[in-house]
Amino acid sequence: MVGKMTEKIGHIAKDLFKKGFWKLGLFFAFIGPGIITSNVDNDAGGITTYSLAGAQYGLSLIWILIPITVALIIIQEMCARMGVVSGKGLSDLIRERFGAKITFYLMIILLLANLGNTLCEFAGIAASMEIFGVSKYISVPTGAFFVWWLVVKGNYKSVEKAFLLACVFYLSYVISGFLVNPNWSEIKTAAITPNLQFDSGMLTMAIGIIGTTIAPWMQFYLQSSIVDKGLKAESYKYARMDVIFGSITVNVVAFFIIMLCAVTLFQNGLKIETAKDAALALAPLAGSYASLLFAFGLLNASLFAASILPLSTAYTICEAFGWEASLNTKFIEAPQFYGLYSLMIFLGAGIILLPNVPLIAIMYYSQVINGILLPFVLIFMLLLINDKRIMGNFVNSRLMNIVSWATVVILNGLSVAMVVSAFF
Amino acid sequence: MAINHEPQVFLFLSRILGKKIVGAEGKVLGRVYDLTAEFVEPYPVVTGLVFSSAQKRNPVFLPWKDVVDLARDVSVAINSTRELSTLNLRQGELLLREDLLDKQVVDTDGAKIRRVNDLQFLKTSHGLHLVHVDVGFRGLIRRVGLIKPFDAILQSLFDYKLPNQLISWKFVQPLHSLDLLRLNITQNRLGQIHPADLADILEDLDIRQRGAVFKALDVETAAETLEETDPKIQVSLINDLNTAEASDIIEEMSLSEAADLLGDLPKAKAEGILKEMEKEIADDVKELLTHPEREAGGMMTTSYLSFRPSTTVGEALEKFRQEAEDIDLVYYVYVTDEEDLLLGVISLRDLILADADKRLEEIMDDRVISVKLDDKDDTIAEHFAKYAVTAIPVVDENDRMQGTILFRNLLDVVAPHLGK
Repeated sequence: MVGKMTEKIGHIAKDLFKKGFWKLGLFFAFIGPGIITSNVDNDAGGITTYSLAGAQYGLSLIWILIPITVALIIIQEMCARMGVVSGKGLSDLIRERFGAKITFYLMIILLLANLGNTLCEFAGIAASMEIFGVSKYISVPTGAFFVWWLVVKGNYKSVEKAFLLACVFYLSYVISGFLVNPNWSEIKTAAITPNLQFDSGMLTMAIGIIGTTIAPWMQFYLQSSIVDKGLKAESYKYARMDVIFGSITVNVVAFFIIMLCAVTLFQNGLKIETAKDAALALAPLAGSYASLLFAFGLLNASLFAASILPLSTAYTICEAFGWEASLNTKFIEAPQFYGLYSLMIFLGAGIILLPNVPLIAIMYYSQVINGILLPFVLIFMLLLINDKRIMGNFVNSRLMNIVSWATVVILNGLSVAMVVSAFF
Repeated sequence: MAINHEPQVFLFLSRILGKKIVGAEGKVLGRVYDLTAEFVEPYPVVTGLVFSSAQKRNPVFLPWKDVVDLARDVSVAINSTRELSTLNLRQGELLLREDLLDKQVVDTDGAKIRRVNDLQFLKTSHGLHLVHVDVGFRGLIRRVGLIKPFDAILQSLFDYKLPNQLISWKFVQPLHSLDLLRLNITQNRLGQIHPADLADILEDLDIRQRGAVFKALDVETAAETLEETDPKIQVSLINDLNTAEASDIIEEMSLSEAADLLGDLPKAKAEGILKEMEKEIADDVKELLTHPEREAGGMMTTSYLSFRPSTTVGEALEKFRQEAEDIDLVYYVYVTDEEDLLLGVISLRDLILADADKRLEEIMDDRVISVKLDDKDDTIAEHFAKYAVTAIPVVDENDRMQGTILFRNLLDVVAPHLGK
């Protein structure tokens, strides 16, 4: 499957070169949703998890990014296909196919999970700005206002441009990766050598990496934004490229974060607990540029996700209940949409500013809720994508079904394992 | 089983789906999965139900005529599912759960509004009519199955009951191919339309059902509905209400309709209602009541506009704009002197076309056709036929204007006697 994918990507790349640059321009006109969705994966929680993985286990978990990339592509591709073919968001389809009851509870759980995640993003803003010496009482309200203003005052095009710009800033991690001058051949070996000891800490970390990369909200967001962008079945191949490209870049960034922490913190035996610790610990080992770039990357990721997560929640819930939801509307035309968006930001930023917030517990439980939610979302997706009435000729092929069911079974097994371990 | 239920006139689809289907011998045949309905005007009629049975692999279809009762379980007139066929939708039929429930509702501009959270039926002796689409939060909570705890909490904390948000089926067009329902009004008018105007089927209901439906309407709608219904039904509906409720509704009706209705009621009831009404309206109605129904005085309404001859067209139009909403007759305005002597008539068209600074006496038609208070209905009908007007003023023996008869009012009196 991996071989086939890389072959396909190679093919696409060749195609692009052959047909000249206008074709490339066309590609850039259709990209956005996939790249944005994938990159938001590397949010504050993601960066923390990758830093911890690198700092605690060195390069030994880095191989896991390759199967994650494949799984991400398989799942996101199905979302993109459903969005393009049906013209409806995922929660839209779930409501119409599975009824009000299931949808209602699903939305409540999703709202809680996303609120927990949003909180983590604002914590990320606070932490990264503290590295630059800015108090959270300034950075969090400013950040909250900025992301609110961006979406409420913008339209799809302007918001997408801002988000794509944020994606570019992830390069800061790649640059810091090169700044530390790592031993590339050692990294290459580690990346292609699967290595998993059955010690509970390492297993939990592996599940954590997968959980933070493949989250329930992403499937909803990707499909909604494809619908909002107005992509049609004819442009489906560009949407697919967008998804593949996005899934690869996100894991490249993850790769550099793990690698960076592995060759510096792990090799010097430094223990860290948060992404902020990682950024601070990097300064003496990798130079202050690497440290500041790391902190800047964290700020960018947190801001970016603090906007996308509430946006995703608003899209998803409005679709489920049939309210108008589009970035191309005014506040007054879609009051529930913008209301939910504003509320999520207000709550997310507000709770962080309260004294003595049990942040670690909130992060932990939002991960658990995500773990509970993911199996349902993935199974609904598979049922929907095989529904002829919705997908017509675009239903999964037999091969795709085998691959996707296998992926979903593995992911669900891991989610269940995580939820069970959380309770015992 | 002779339990006397409150007549269940309104039913929700969510309450019917999943009900047990009990055969004539008390055997459970299955559970309701879906309903089919034929899309006829004005309200679709349920034609049958779909359920899966243990004996057959595919869902089977049961025609609605075999359904006996819906009160608790769905009792049906058959014993076994053997003779039932599988579902085969005819032209113009839709599956309600599959095709309507949970679908998106959009307005004329294509703006998304809500989803179909539930469907509401009116049960009549002819069957089940789909009358409302429920788009409200209450409908959603009902679907989720939390309506009882939800109501209990709201009731105990805020003494508040979340109302249903219903849209009349009249405003809905299912767009089957597009998977959504389109309203034929825009979103911002949604608040103005009244969900429950059911005069069309009110007359088809039996007495108990009719009373229950009528009580569910708010005052304004009830008044409008009442004006449209047959006088005999009007009387039975008002008789069921107490005087306070009845007077609220009658105040909202047009004067002549109100007078006719009160004239038909038993004397004690009518007097009770008049006492409860606002004095001003009650006096006008009493005035009308003193005349026999089939004479001009009994048919006329006192709700019209009259002006002095020196009034300008501009002033008249200004007044017209302010008052027309509450006036029975709007197609003519009358010109009278200070003694109420009828001098002329002006049609609305002439009024609008005239220059604003002209005086009414310059444009009025002084060859006014009028009838006397005690002229009989056949005389009045002749006048209407001869002069092709839509309203005729009524004067007393001194030519003082007393009221005006709308063609509609004449028809109300004359129509029941036609063809006899």
